[in-house]
Amino acid sequence: MSDTATAHTEDSHHSLMVNNKKLLMWLFLGSDCMFFGTLISTHLIYRKLYPEAYDPTHLFSLELTSFSTFILLMSSFLMALAVSAMHKGQIKSFRRNVIGVIFFGLIFLGCQVYEFTEFVHEGLTLSTATFGSTFYVMTGTHGVHVAIGVFWLTCMYFYSYTGKMDAHNSAVDVEVAGLYWHFVDIVWIIIFTAVYLIEFIGK
Amino acid sequence: MSELDYAPLPVADTHISDENEKYHTFVNLALILAAITGVELVLVYLPFNELFIFTVLLSLSLFKFVAVLAWFMHLIYDKLLMTLAFGTGLSIASGTVIALMFIMDRSHVDFDAITAF
Repeated sequence: MSDTATAHTEDSHHSLMVNNKKLLMWLFLGSDCMFFGTLISTHLIYRKLYPEAYDPTHLFSLELTSFSTFILLMSSFLMALAVSAMHKGQIKSFRRNVIGVIFFGLIFLGCQVYEFTEFVHEGLTLSTATFGSTFYVMTGTHGVHVAIGVFWLTCMYFYSYTGKMDAHNSAVDVEVAGLYWHFVDIVWIIIFTAVYLIEFIGK
Repeated sequence: MSELDYAPLPVADTHISDENEKYHTFVNLALILAAITGVELVLVYLPFNELFIFTVLLSLSLFKFVAVLAWFMHLIYDKLLMTLAFGTGLSIASGTVIALMFIMDRSHVDFDAITAF
């Protein structure tokens, strides 16, 4: 078999003609969709049934949350560049982009922590009406996902200095990490609209 | 002409050129997503009909969702099986959310039977 054909048969060694790691990650993300779907629908249902129970518009800072959303979107962009760099075997470019993703991820987490701290000071806790419970569980779970992603990418960043990462061995691993990070971003896109923006319609 | 003049690009070079083309797609998409986020932020403050604002917000969010899924997550470049794998979970989640929103309507809930929150 020629080199050309060999290079294109990376996936042919797997029975479903796709990379197993990527397939497993997509399946996991599908299950995580269901997980976040339940959390978001719980919040929306209680807001629909009891809209007068709590009014969060005096607490929410749309500017801060929009900034967080922008930061997460840009981190997703850098992650796409990091994956692309690894596919091309450009380790230094990969490191630059991944450190950017980690930095933006930490900024997002910092904004979340600041936001939660402000809310607690204003009296919105986990036990403040059903709104507090659903809001903190939903955004807190998302925050934990972001933290796990930051930890994962940090490990990957330091692992890149061992000399064991290259396009042939690690491109799929980086792509899988990228899928996780992008998923965290798209969940936040939904949360930003369904939880924050909708509260301000008509106000 | 020697045979080398007509030799196809090595696989690595075509792969790299594909990645370079994707770079411009990523940059354009990032700019579009940032712009949409700005539009969403401004839209909620505008004195338009609530249903109109809600519909536009939902549409913009769905576009952002699909765009990140398709291009950043490479779903359009990958095999259909990946789309099916993720789409199954997404469909179940979406269907559950929509069904619950319809079921849990104020007219269908007996508020006397449950404790107020």
